[in-house]
This record gives sequence, structure tokens and C-alpha cells, in this order.
Amino acid sequence: MTQASRGIVGLDPTSGSLERPSGRKLAVRPRNLDGQVIGLVTNGLGRSQELLSALSDELAKIARPGGVIHVVKNSVSIAPERADWARLTSEASVAITGFGG
Amino acid sequence: MLSAARHDYPDDASLVEDYFERGWTDGLPIVPPTPERVEAMLELAGLVPDRVLGGVPTREVVVTAEHAAINAVMAGCKPEYFPTVVAAVRAHLDEMGNCHSTTGTLSGASQIVVVNGPIRNEIGIQCRDACFGPGFRANATIGRALRLVIRNVCRAVPGVFDRASLSTPFRYSFCFGEDEEANDWLPLHVERGFAPGDSTATVHSTMQVCEVMDYMSRTPEAICDGWLAEILRRGIFADRFVGEANILIVVSFEHQRYFTQAGWSKADLRSYLWQRCQASGENAKRIMLGGPEGFLIVGAGGPGHATTWLFFPHLARAITQRIESASESRRT
Repeated sequence: MTQASRGIVGLDPTSGSLERPSGRKLAVRPRNLDGQVIGLVTNGLGRSQELLSALSDELAKIARPGGVIHVVKNSVSIAPERADWARLTSEASVAITGFGG
Repeated sequence: MLSAARHDYPDDASLVEDYFERGWTDGLPIVPPTPERVEAMLELAGLVPDRVLGGVPTREVVVTAEHAAINAVMAGCKPEYFPTVVAAVRAHLDEMGNCHSTTGTLSGASQIVVVNGPIRNEIGIQCRDACFGPGFRANATIGRALRLVIRNVCRAVPGVFDRASLSTPFRYSFCFGEDEEANDWLPLHVERGFAPGDSTATVHSTMQVCEVMDYMSRTPEAICDGWLAEILRRGIFADRFVGEANILIVVSFEHQRYFTQAGWSKADLRSYLWQRCQASGENAKRIMLGGPEGFLIVGAGGPGHATTWLFFPHLARAITQRIESASESRRT
């Protein structure tokens, strides 16, 4: 004897796709850093400020950047402040950051 | 009215397999979240589906009661567990719970849910023997429900917003209750300002876990000194956003006995620990607790093993939320 199969409805448990956003495009990468304003975003952990400053010095040896903007996050554990984002997006043409401890 | 997208399947097994495929589980099978089961959760907690429990602004995420209920069903919760899940989700999403950092960190921090008050006995939260481990439905599924919310709703998925290097098995589920009946210590929730008759969920995000097994010490001071050796070596860190951190210290039954027999309250214990930290010279700067109240003391576990577990924080404060009854939730 066979039993009639009953379907089942399941609800989506997410707040949206769990994948990386697919519609967003990466910003155009410049061919070199000549004339570019470099944003350096530091998370404040360990010697990260020294590290990114040293990186800035090294970049200056191989290119002629148009300027450097240093942003040190207010806290290790949260995103940059709104004002810092505004500075970066309005003044910097490229940005470098890192994460981890 | 429920608003989640609905998916049709010919049977339970097909649903479970598809949820695996979509990345909607923690790697273990789930209970199918049917509309009827989700509505039963919400009804028992007195919550409408769109009630907001919190959010993660950096991820543009808002967590609703419906989200939590779907994931609680999937975790295997009974409806009567759901008010505790709701309190745990609210606690984790408190601004000082720092969801973005504690679930995205390379360190693979995990979230511990400590349940206090009468609800422990009403829903069968294990507080004694083996309470950190498997075998207890309420503990296992409440802790799992919080982690599924973190994964599915807060999007802490490995390789996306979860950047853990190794992660930890504590991230499957970690929930237990304080053994409030074992001694006359004030329960954690009472020490944090709640009434003894209240039930609460405290969520503590932890980065380092250290078991201090000590069969030799026979005095409160000696037992505390064993803990202090680890605390001073590792430090307790906060940052500018968190301000002051907490360390959760779970004292097993055997160690509890030495304190209570000597007449030490939790306040005495905290006072001793804090004074010793302050007297530790340069090391004192590495203990970012703000004061003795930063030590959260909880008694739990069964007899036999003389041990205490130290749960060092990960850039968040431990947050305690009251567990509301259905009638209270309907009023607010």
C-alpha cells in the first residue's frame, strides 16, 4: 500500500543572500600611484600605524603620490567613523588597509 | 503575518538537503521551519513577526522576531524555549554586545548564553553535571538558535562576514544555567540588578577559554591565585568603544565548596581578585575591567572535578536581558 505524499513549505531563515554581493563592481584600479591620493586606514592594533607609515614611505620611493591621508579608527572593534569615511571618499583616490592583530 | 520567502518541497528530506545546499545550516541537519511551527513559536512568546529584536548596522541587517523564530525551529527548540532565545538575541545585538566584531573576528570568538532564574527549571536548562556538553535539549537548541541567527540573519558566514582563522566548536552551541540552588551565592542576574524572580539570559562573547584544574588548593585564596596566574599572564582587553570588559568565571561545584565553607560571597571573591590585579604592577594595566564588578562569577557543574573555567572576553561586554512572558511581550 502506498501513502499519498504531502508537500512541505519551508521558510527562508535569512535576511538576504549569504553570498558576497554580486551586483557591486570593484573600483577601477589605477595603473600606478603617480598623482593618486592614498588613504591609509589603520585599525589601531599593535604597530599597525608604524606598518602603514612604513608602507607609505616605500610607496613614495616607487611612485609620486599626490598626497596621503592617514585614518586611524577610533576603536579596534568598530568601523571607521562617518567623518572618516567622508574624508576617504571625498579626498582619497586609492586606499590601503589591513585587518587582524 | 509571516513575510519570509516560502519554498515548496515534496518532503522533509528534500527540504533539509536543500537547506544544506543553500548554506542555511551550521553543517548539521535542521528541523524544517514550516509556517505552522514558526507561528507556534511566536504565539507562545507573544510576539508579532515584525517585532524588531535588534540589528547590525554595519551589515545593514535588522533582526525580527520572525527571523529568530524560523532559526529557533531549525535549531530544534520547543516553543517554550523561544522567549529565552529572544532574550539571548536581544542581548547579543545590544550595541555593547558588538555583534559585528565578535562574529567577524579572526579569533573566532564564540557566544555563551548563561540562563538565570525560574525558567531554568521550567524548561529544563541543565546547570549541574555536564552542563557545558551535549545531551540537554534546552541547552543545545537555545545556544544553536542564537548561532543560526548569527549565521543566517546577521550573515556571519565563513569567508564572508565570518573571518575566523580556525573558529571553534563552541560556535555550534554554548548555553547552560547557573546552579542557583547549590549554595547561597547571589545569582548572576540578581548581582546585575534583576529581581530573584526574574529570568534572564546573559550573553558573553569569549575569545580565549582557559580551564584551571586545581585539585591541590584548599583555601579560597589559593584557588583564586591559580586563576590570577592565568588572568595576569593573558590580560583582559577592551578597547575605546567597549570601555570596560568582563571576564566570565564559571566555578565548579568542588571549587564552590571551598569558597562557601570559608564564608566567601561572590563579592568577597571579586574583591580579592581585583585587589590582587591592582597590586600586580605593570600587569594591572592589562586588566581592563574597570573595577571588581567586571568579574562575573557563576556557579555550575556537577561534583567530582575541582576546576574553574575562565572565559576571556572578545571586545564586548556581557549583556543580560530579562526573559519576557507572552503577556509582557504583548503589552510592549
